Amino acid sequence: MSGSRPAYRKRLLQARRHPLQTVLSLVILALIAWIVWSTAAWLVVGADWSVVTENLPLFAVGSYPEHERWRPLLWLFLLCLMTATTLLQPLISRPWRIHGLALSWAWLAMLPIGLLLLAGGAGLPMVSSRDWGGLTLTVLLTGFSGLLALPLGILLALGRRSNLTLPRHLCRLYIDGLRAVPLIAVLFFGQLLLPLFLPVEIEINRVLRAVVAFALFAAAYVAEDVRGGLQAIPGTQREAAAALGLGPWQIQRLVILPQALRVAVPALTNQAIGLLQNTSLMAILGLVELLGISRSLLANPAYIGRHLETYIWLAGLYWLVCTAMALMARQLERQGKSSATEAIPS
Amino acid sequence: MTIAVRAESITKTFNGTQKALDQVNLSVNHGEVLVVMGPSGSGKSTLIRTFNGLEAIDAGQLEIVGIPLDTDQDERQIRRIRRRVGMVFQQFNLFPHLSILDNITLAPIRVKKVSKANAEQRAHGLLAQMGIADQAMKYPAELSGGQQQRVAIARALAMDPELMLFDEPTSALDPERVKEVLDAMRRLAADGMTMIVVTHELGFAREVADRVLFMDAGRVVELTDSTTFFTQAKEERSRRFLNQMAH
Ligand SMILES: Nc1ncnc2c1ncn2[C@@H]1O[C@H](COP(=O)(O)OP(=O)(O)OP(=O)(O)O)[C@@H](O)[C@H]1O
Ligand SMILES: [Mg+2]
Repeated sequence: MSGSRPAYRKRLLQARRHPLQTVLSLVILALIAWIVWSTAAWLVVGADWSVVTENLPLFAVGSYPEHERWRPLLWLFLLCLMTATTLLQPLISRPWRIHGLALSWAWLAMLPIGLLLLAGGAGLPMVSSRDWGGLTLTVLLTGFSGLLALPLGILLALGRRSNLTLPRHLCRLYIDGLRAVPLIAVLFFGQLLLPLFLPVEIEINRVLRAVVAFALFAAAYVAEDVRGGLQAIPGTQREAAAALGLGPWQIQRLVILPQALRVAVPALTNQAIGLLQNTSLMAILGLVELLGISRSLLANPAYIGRHLETYIWLAGLYWLVCTAMALMARQLERQGKSSATEAIPS
Repeated sequence: MTIAVRAESITKTFNGTQKALDQVNLSVNHGEVLVVMGPSGSGKSTLIRTFNGLEAIDAGQLEIVGIPLDTDQDERQIRRIRRRVGMVFQQFNLFPHLSILDNITLAPIRVKKVSKANAEQRAHGLLAQMGIADQAMKYPAELSGGQQQRVAIARALAMDPELMLFDEPTSALDPERVKEVLDAMRRLAADGMTMIVVTHELGFAREVADRVLFMDAGRVVELTDSTTFFTQAKEERSRRFLNQMAH
């Protein structure tokens, strides 16, 4: 530390002596000041946020029927509540803390609850998936495709390490194949081409088609992340479990996978965040999730030219959701560490 | 007296050429403690790993706790043996994601279908027997090596094995931790457990072993009762090894 300071000062002095560098520095400084100033001025005076403020319900739930809007809103509220509860866990003293397993199940339950609230049934009037939209649809797409992709990815990863030649090659083909195709192509296939192959009577829901396409795509990447986790577990763990008389599936499920998944959490978090952002591709294919709703708003003559405001708002929303996900994942990582790998001398 | 291990000219070759076991004959009675010694690479680990099917033999005949273990490994047969044969490894190999208690109850609950309550009660008893009753709720990484190895012994004992295999159980331990593990094994032997122990702990072998098996290059060099082995070993190779160990 102490050695670096004089060196730094020396460089600074040298820079002062060089007139061209001084001029350059001043120009760059001025440029930065101008950018900051004009952005601030635009945000305060020039920007017209009415496109956002007047359409908050649209951003939240899309064109969901007005008198039923409380349903997706309630779901979003529950999700916020769950997020807050999860993130506050480390601050809560032990007896009041919710067990990690209970919290996981509650999160899992959020998906069927969301589906029930949005689609209707059990006393609620049905609402066609055509009318779902906004943040609600973005989160629903992410949640369900993630939920499908995880077990599928795990199976693919296990298959790829299997001793059986045929499953191993099939899994490998699938993983390499899907990773070689751009996501947009898979989505096009799901939305536009798949209906052409199916008989006319079978009309698969558009949201469902999107979820399946996303899940099939993401599973290939999840498989690679899980495989990385599996490789990190030493073979002696398998031996120790086998020596106790556990069967091959029990060994995977009770000993290898729990450890491998813990190793894979950071990589899987990346996938989840990528999945959330990729759902915006569905805007191109006509689903009015967050980006879709923004595009349709911008097409409205009343908001002509309000691109910047809309996209800044959108970026903020995505940032918020992604940050919440990342924070929760970090918490999960810490939990795994404190219970398994961090040695506490006794 | 019934026979725990019966091996007839078993052979194991690695990579086509490396003979890890060469025509090994051995028979171990129930209640007996056998110590296996020999220089590094002599096939000690390979030998005891064939006894619970972690390695398959290439030729010969093997019968463990009355169950034949053929050259073509039948998965169900192996699992029947593994339920009744415990193994303790040099590196402990506890499951790091499970608490000490869960490490011990995993196999009884999943393999023997013992109820959780019964399995836990037994686990607490075993931990007390190993002198680490207060560690049940901790995780393996929070324990010292000696404590971890005693958990590993308790984990194997929880299946009520008829035969216990130990592969250098104290080699990865600090010298001051070796004694606590050896003491636990001594008590086990005193209780009449059938044990096959790969170890270089001469004191333990002299005191606890009924017989000593000395191996070199995959072959049985000498197999005698321990007093004879330590006082008047027949083979030159064993005497040289003992001399080296004593210095
Ligand atoms: N999985 C394996 N693949 C190839 N060769 C092996 C394998 N396991 C053991 N061997 C070889 O078989 C021989 C016997 O090995 P083994 O581990 O049984 O010796 P050991 O007596 O236990 O030695 P140590 O005292 O070092 O543990 C050695 O030459 C070793 O290199
Ligand atoms: Mg060995």
